[in-house]
Amino acid sequence: MTRDSIIRFDRVTKAYGPNERVLNEVSFDMERGKFYTLLGPSGCGKTTILRIIAGFIEPTSGDVFFNGERINHVPANKRQVNTVFQDYALFPHLNVYENIAFGLRIKKMRKAEIDAKVKEALKFVNLPGYESRELSEMSGGQKQRVAIARAIVNEPQVILLDEPLSALDLKLRTEMQYELRELQQRLGITFIFVTHDQEEALAMSDEIIVLNEGIIQQSGTPTDIYDEPINRFVADFIGESNIIDGVMFQDFEVEFAGRRFECVDKGLRPNEPVEVIIRPEDLAVTAAESGKIQAKVDSQLFRGVHYEICCYDADGNEWLVHSTKKAVVGDTVGLDFEPEAIHVMRLNETQEEFNRRLESYSAGGGQNAGK
Amino acid sequence: MQANNRTFYWIPYVLWIALFVVAPLLLIVYYSFFDLNGNFTFANYQNFFTPVYLTMALSSFWYAFLITFFCLIIAYPAAYFITHSKYKQLLLLLIILPSWVNLLLKAYAFLGIFSTYGAANSLLETVGIGARQILFTDFSFVFVSVYIFIPFMILPIFNALDKLNPALIYASRDLGASFWATFLKVIFPLTSSGVKAGVQAVFIPALSLFMMTRLIAGNRVITLGTAIEQHFLVTQDWGMGATIAVFLILIMIVMMIVTGTRKKGVL
Ligand SMILES: Nc1ncnc2c1ncn2[C@@H]1O[C@H](COP(=O)(O)OP(=O)(O)OP(=O)(O)O)[C@@H](O)[C@H]1O
Ligand SMILES: [Mg+2]
Repeated sequence: MTRDSIIRFDRVTKAYGPNERVLNEVSFDMERGKFYTLLGPSGCGKTTILRIIAGFIEPTSGDVFFNGERINHVPANKRQVNTVFQDYALFPHLNVYENIAFGLRIKKMRKAEIDAKVKEALKFVNLPGYESRELSEMSGGQKQRVAIARAIVNEPQVILLDEPLSALDLKLRTEMQYELRELQQRLGITFIFVTHDQEEALAMSDEIIVLNEGIIQQSGTPTDIYDEPINRFVADFIGESNIIDGVMFQDFEVEFAGRRFECVDKGLRPNEPVEVIIRPEDLAVTAAESGKIQAKVDSQLFRGVHYEICCYDADGNEWLVHSTKKAVVGDTVGLDFEPEAIHVMRLNETQEEFNRRLESYSAGGGQNAGK
Repeated sequence: MQANNRTFYWIPYVLWIALFVVAPLLLIVYYSFFDLNGNFTFANYQNFFTPVYLTMALSSFWYAFLITFFCLIIAYPAAYFITHSKYKQLLLLLIILPSWVNLLLKAYAFLGIFSTYGAANSLLETVGIGARQILFTDFSFVFVSVYIFIPFMILPIFNALDKLNPALIYASRDLGASFWATFLKVIFPLTSSGVKAGVQAVFIPALSLFMMTRLIAGNRVITLGTAIEQHFLVTQDWGMGATIAVFLILIMIVMMIVTGTRKKGVL
């Protein structure tokens, strides 16, 4: 293996009861110094994965490797990993300074050095001068930032962040997203970041792992996952999508909404039933006769950057369009899109099959899958 | 109207406090200023500072300290174990159950167990150590007292441990702390309120134990509690008995202040 692997899961399963698999044969390989995001709905097992990496729980079966060494039974305090907890888990009997200095004191670092590091960490999280504050005098967002400072001050090899920005307002949140990303790149530490906010995941990550019900649905770069979702779940979870049942008529030709369209997918069985995805921002509103699909505008919402227009075609399919231009409710409009905007998903395709199919596009005839 | 109603609800409580707490306290202070013949005097207070009573006070303190100490070192690990057990409620019930049994009954039971031909000595015989005098020793006194007081120590510590957010322990481990470092830096400081409550619940009553000293220690241990009892029931010197009681109350108040909730983060 040429990759500089830092954390690897080999078919890790975690079960709390005989029939309660919280994680089901989860395998992944994380490279040193990258920013990973675990993305998935509430209860899908994100925190469980972090707990296994941190060493708070052991997998029921499967192996966990750290720097190539199996660490299933290594206790948490012997792992070069620090966690930013979902509920902060700050020590209520210690003030801000002592909370951040906790790990350094355990390492028996010299006082002057601790002082300097705590100061620097506080500056990073935008809380300079808060050293002597008690936690009871801090807001939720400030506590969250103390929790981040407490983890980064130890300069571990891996930092696990369990929804660390969820309590912040939008502005501070965006600011912290930039700063966390910048810090990660500056320190070269591997970040494993948990969120159920897909925009946050897309903005920050080198690689995203999408989970549902304890099973990895898809992993890849943000663009891969956004542009080529493997199934309905991923497509739905990452951004809004129009998902329509269709049939793959033949290579480069797919049938849905009662018509055949040119597309860039191939290698499927002729007449194979598929699901077709078109992102709302890939649809353009045109005059009724010049569009590929005709639909009636049902409702319209102003979203700030764009209008979110909801239309129905003659077959009753719902089409969500993001457009900077306003439409008139009740009008019939045309919807236009490029062949590259059509993403074809096979039913029940595994990630390996999916990757092989994608690779065959770029290998064969330069017909790249719409990027 | 509203305000009147509220005062009305207070009446039973205020009456109770006045009749059974404030009045007796005042009576105790009042009696402490009279001698055997009913004459006003400060002699009782002077008497208290004679070696007889001072040694008695010291020995009361010493035994109360021993009892509290042993209760604590048994109760803390026990409470820790219970909070981590699957059968929390059952174990807790088993701990509380003995405290529902009357104190005298338990004392008499130990009289049987510790007697020359009792269960404890038969056990010592079988393991080859041989029978010995257990009853009427310091050991039996402290042992039985600890047995009686231990639920009052376990409960507050259990409550404190149970309330402790387990994520804090994870956080401490995550930051590199061993189990002991976690205990010293996180678990104990955050449960010290429970320990203080437990110490109050054991130390203060242990200061004035008197039935135990009579039955289990055979009057070999004489505490302030015993002295009060003797003065009121045997020598009829109510004044001196009341004086000792006044000092006991003062000691209790001091204890409450010392172990009372201090500012967070001091410990
Ligand atoms: N100690 C436990 N015993 C039994 N089930 C548990 C335990 N801990 C977690 N679970 C279950 O495991 C599943 C995954 O939990 P996990 O905390 O990993 O979810 P999550 O993806 O972090 O969700 P969220 O986004 O809400 O934090 C949940 O269904 C949860 O009920
Ligand atoms: Mg979680």
